[in-house]
Amino acid sequence: MTNTTEKMNQSLQEARDIITGYRGPKLRIMEVCGTHTHEIFRLGIRQLLPESIELISGPGCPVCVTPTDFIDEAIWLATEKQVTICTFGDLVRVPGTTQNLGEARAAGANVQVVYTPLDAVTYAAEHPSEAVAFLSVGFETTTPAACLAVKRAMAQGLTNFSLLTANKTMDQAYLAMADACDAYLYPGHVCAIAGTALPEQLVHTHGISGVATGFTASELLTALAVIIRKQAAGKPFFVNCYPRVVTHEGSPAAQKLVRTLMEPCDAEWRGLGTIPQSGLQLRADYGQFDARVKYQIPAMHGHGNPACRCGDICRANARRPIARSLAKSAILSTRSVPAWCPMKVPAPHSISMEGISDVHRS
Amino acid sequence: MCVGLPAKVVSIKNGTAIVDASGARREVSAELLDELDPGDYVMVHAGIAIAKITSDDKEETVSVMDQL
Ligand code: SF4
Repeated sequence: MTNTTEKMNQSLQEARDIITGYRGPKLRIMEVCGTHTHEIFRLGIRQLLPESIELISGPGCPVCVTPTDFIDEAIWLATEKQVTICTFGDLVRVPGTTQNLGEARAAGANVQVVYTPLDAVTYAAEHPSEAVAFLSVGFETTTPAACLAVKRAMAQGLTNFSLLTANKTMDQAYLAMADACDAYLYPGHVCAIAGTALPEQLVHTHGISGVATGFTASELLTALAVIIRKQAAGKPFFVNCYPRVVTHEGSPAAQKLVRTLMEPCDAEWRGLGTIPQSGLQLRADYGQFDARVKYQIPAMHGHGNPACRCGDICRANARRPIARSLAKSAILSTRSVPAWCPMKVPAPHSISMEGISDVHRS
Repeated sequence: MCVGLPAKVVSIKNGTAIVDASGARREVSAELLDELDPGDYVMVHAGIAIAKITSDDKEETVSVMDQL
């Protein structure tokens, strides 16, 4: 065993001891990011936690917070305007009011699953006779890719490519959910783009505590240990526990790109309602790439899917502290969520001290 | 869609990088990162390299816990 591995195992054991040995007052920690929820569950980290630590799952899955109306708009584009819809695979089974995109495809709509918005541009270039719209959902991490796609389409002179936007930013959501927890596990990759200035500032302006963290078992355990120690000191705090990816300034190039192409707008979060200025839409200068402008999409008045539980959970978390025992992962571990739920995860396996580094271990 | 993928840069040309993620090679946009060299590690998200990865999570754990 190398020295680093030995030292890491010691540090990790220390983190684990801090967590399992915690006997202080009730500590509510919200993982904002859906991938954190997923990894915490998959890695079996919940089983390590003493009763006094409660993990609350935030609304951090872009699919989950995307309102029904958005799917209805996409289906309207596909069926009424014969637009080819390019989308991330996760959205295909999300129900609209009467149909999901998969069902619309079976009924003849052209729905293409892409890995990146850039592939949607390639598709548009290769199919000049089709009008193509990319379903642009996602937070700070994904929005730059959609903006790059627009830039690329512009550079190639494509007139058959547009975005149907439902992009969101986390800033306002951090404030909207702050009462539901004592500290945030801030989403690592949102911080990689946005930087840590905001979480640092929230410590001073609103007394909001949290840590930026990554997604491996050691990163999640370290982050929880840091929260426990810092919380015990009794002062609001922010610690960057993911410094190998997250910096104070984040990605200035991505921030500039998004600022150039997009502007804030009010946005509806399924389950949380409308949060002012928490969305992003293309600026008027880029109207020819905005599917809503280009195709004059009428207003939709969709209904949410009753099988979908996260709205209740986030609302309960945010507004009715008593109902917090409905923690999202607990529900996601049961069969009560809809079949299309992207957060459905396999049974957790228990965590071992070996083999938990991520794939690029050198 | 939200999962970040750590990958190693194999080659880079005109803002596009070929990366290796656990043996799988793919082309990603490197337009958001300057000074990227083959051998660097990046976090890939929805087909773009969003950040450089500057160390292993082992070293990170040690340094974060040491500072506690
Ligand atoms: S139940 Fe699943 S799909 Fe529905 S909001 Fe929750 S995580 Fe998303």
